[in-house]
Amino acid sequence: MYEELVQKGESMKMKKLTAVLMTALMTTSAIGCGSTAPTEAPAEQAAATNEAADTAATTEEAPAAQEEAPAQEETGPVEITVTTTFAGEDSNAQNYKNSVAGWEAATGNTVSDTSATSDETFKTRIITDFETGSEPDVLFFFNGADANDFVNAGKVVSIDDIRAEFPEYASNMNDDLIAASPADGVKYAVPVNGYWEAMFVNTKVLEDAGVAMPGADYTWDQFLDDCEKIKAAGYAPIAAALGNIPHYWWEFGIYNQQTPADHLNIPESADDATGAQWVAGLEDIKTLYEKGYFPDNTLSATDDETFAMFTDDKAAFLLDGSWKVGGIVGSCQSDPDDPSTIDADKLSHFDVTYFPGKGNRKTTDLIGGLSMGYYITTKAWEDPEKKAAAVSFVEYMTSDEVVPLFAQHTASALKNAPAVDETQFNALQVKAMDMMSGVTSLTGAVQDLFNGDCRVSTFDGMPDIVVGNVSAADAVQEGIDVYKDTLE
Amino acid sequence: MSNIYKSRKYVLIFLAPAFLFMIIYLYYPFFVNIYGSFRAIKNLGTYGTKWNDPWYENYVKLVTDPVVRTSLKNTFLMIIATIVGQVGIALLLAILVDNIERGTQFFRTVYFFPIVISATALGLLFNLIFLYDRGMLNQFLELLGRDSLIDWKGESLAIFTMMLPVVWQYVGFYFVILQTGLNNISQELYESAAIDGATRLQRVIYISLPLLRNVICTCLTLGVTGALKVFDLPWTMFPKGMPLKETFLTGTYMYYQTMEAKNVDYGATLAVLIVVLGVVLSRVTGMVFKESEDF
Repeated sequence: MYEELVQKGESMKMKKLTAVLMTALMTTSAIGCGSTAPTEAPAEQAAATNEAADTAATTEEAPAAQEEAPAQEETGPVEITVTTTFAGEDSNAQNYKNSVAGWEAATGNTVSDTSATSDETFKTRIITDFETGSEPDVLFFFNGADANDFVNAGKVVSIDDIRAEFPEYASNMNDDLIAASPADGVKYAVPVNGYWEAMFVNTKVLEDAGVAMPGADYTWDQFLDDCEKIKAAGYAPIAAALGNIPHYWWEFGIYNQQTPADHLNIPESADDATGAQWVAGLEDIKTLYEKGYFPDNTLSATDDETFAMFTDDKAAFLLDGSWKVGGIVGSCQSDPDDPSTIDADKLSHFDVTYFPGKGNRKTTDLIGGLSMGYYITTKAWEDPEKKAAAVSFVEYMTSDEVVPLFAQHTASALKNAPAVDETQFNALQVKAMDMMSGVTSLTGAVQDLFNGDCRVSTFDGMPDIVVGNVSAADAVQEGIDVYKDTLE
Repeated sequence: MSNIYKSRKYVLIFLAPAFLFMIIYLYYPFFVNIYGSFRAIKNLGTYGTKWNDPWYENYVKLVTDPVVRTSLKNTFLMIIATIVGQVGIALLLAILVDNIERGTQFFRTVYFFPIVISATALGLLFNLIFLYDRGMLNQFLELLGRDSLIDWKGESLAIFTMMLPVVWQYVGFYFVILQTGLNNISQELYESAAIDGATRLQRVIYISLPLLRNVICTCLTLGVTGALKVFDLPWTMFPKGMPLKETFLTGTYMYYQTMEAKNVDYGATLAVLIVVLGVVLSRVTGMVFKESEDF
């Protein structure tokens, strides 16, 4: 029963979304970067990517503050509670603050912001808030299975229901790119910026180790050879905290045993075909650990520590998401909040490339998509004072002017993407755009479907897997058992 | 004029608010927690949709879960560290300070200061001290000629690294209590002993320690029960029991299961274990460290 649900339902939806998103992303990448689009990218699906245009580098200015906020009924100033993940080291944290200030200035309303860095604790907090009736009025959250509980409970309002009363709501978005909830197939979250996951490279370390910059044909075997050379040169080949954030290695380790067509399948057991692929993926990570390619303290370090190793020229590769571009750029600034203090020479040591390919997965097949968006909660919708303000806030934050600020080198779902002025991007953003222009497919993360406590045995259990305390097969099976239990 | 102290009615009226508060915010949640430990609960704030199968499943798991054994072992280590490290060092410092003529107040302030700092802030501070790459300790060792880094938070040193800041933070707390106890001992006793030719060490052994017995017992009882509640500093320094789930305490493991692993009903079961453990230990410490009426 669960396999049918996942494989025929969610998977098909995700694949369809991915195909459309990828088409749109590559098309607009090509437009923005002036490069040639892959031949299979139809030109008419023009979503926005790389469209930060003339505003990307001016994050300290309130975006579109002088613009009018979307229409709102005359109810007087209202305070709405908003929770997002634009906080901490998120590269859009400052953009978010500026945008909120812009909306407040334009409407006279105020935002009580409870944003926090996205992690498992944050997700638990959000789910608990919904369970206890303490949910915010507007929520920027994942549109995958993480949201199933509050979607099933009817605690968020669908885009269609909002449009019935506010016809212009999210009308600037390409509906094909708005992901439906895997819980009921209905669209709730209005996306802002997409994401991609790829491998950042410290080219200074590569040069010192005599290793060439990996390209679009980089293979797993070449990667292993390069790691050996880097290790021999006295550097950590891979910056990763397996005891803290193994998520990216988990995703690509499994993806490397699969293809874009079957990556979103969830195994019924560790013994079936997909299960064996998952086990093989985790075994690959174990091999890397045993070869000593992760930092010596990878099991006890935090993600921040290994990230610092990467930016301090002590590690060569960092597998992470598009949001890390901002973190790397920030590490090259004497004042992380002031782009004018950037050390261009230091930034030139960083590049981004594809994850090494293995088997039938092409090197240029990446993980990515539009995995988050703005929800309006039923609580706000049923509050006559807050309803219009919540709609106005989301319309403002997803407007044609604000979305490009957040999307930058990633995708968005805008129908009309502004033209791109590449000179406004920093060197790493340009490299990211170049890299994205060569992507052959963009597939969602299977961990977004295999969510929550299902992942505990292989995420939190990753240290036990790599040191051999628990076999990868047992850990995968344990997670599948929990997954089956949640579907009952 | 009636005396309200003669009527039980007034006593009950004044006791009722506190009693109700305890019922609502302590005993009711406790019994709900026991109920929750038999249910299958994925998210906080609900009773779950079904009973566990079998209904006592979590209690079987409690017995077989190796991480529970690790967390119990670490909790008992923490109790020993509290007795030896916190109360023991505090006693030594209090006696030393009691034997100096000037600067008592200075030392009292210095030793007590860590108590007023948030444990989370201390956790972040000690994270920097024990940092693997560019941490303060490793930099010192590098200056002294060591050519390799020590992973203070690695498997072999993690428990030591976790307990050291906890011990350090609370030494001042017990120091102040013991110092106050020492101040209450009559100086005449020391003067008489000195006239009789007793050395400083003899005065400590035969006067200070016996007369401090009840205060020490109080400190030990507070220390043992306090060790069961240690949470924030270890969690800040070693989230999710890193590395390899070796640093879990009963409290941090309960939090992990509830908030991180989303296994709320198992977290409730661990909470029951913590309560049982607390009741048993407080009874045992009450018996072992029983205050004497002779002093």
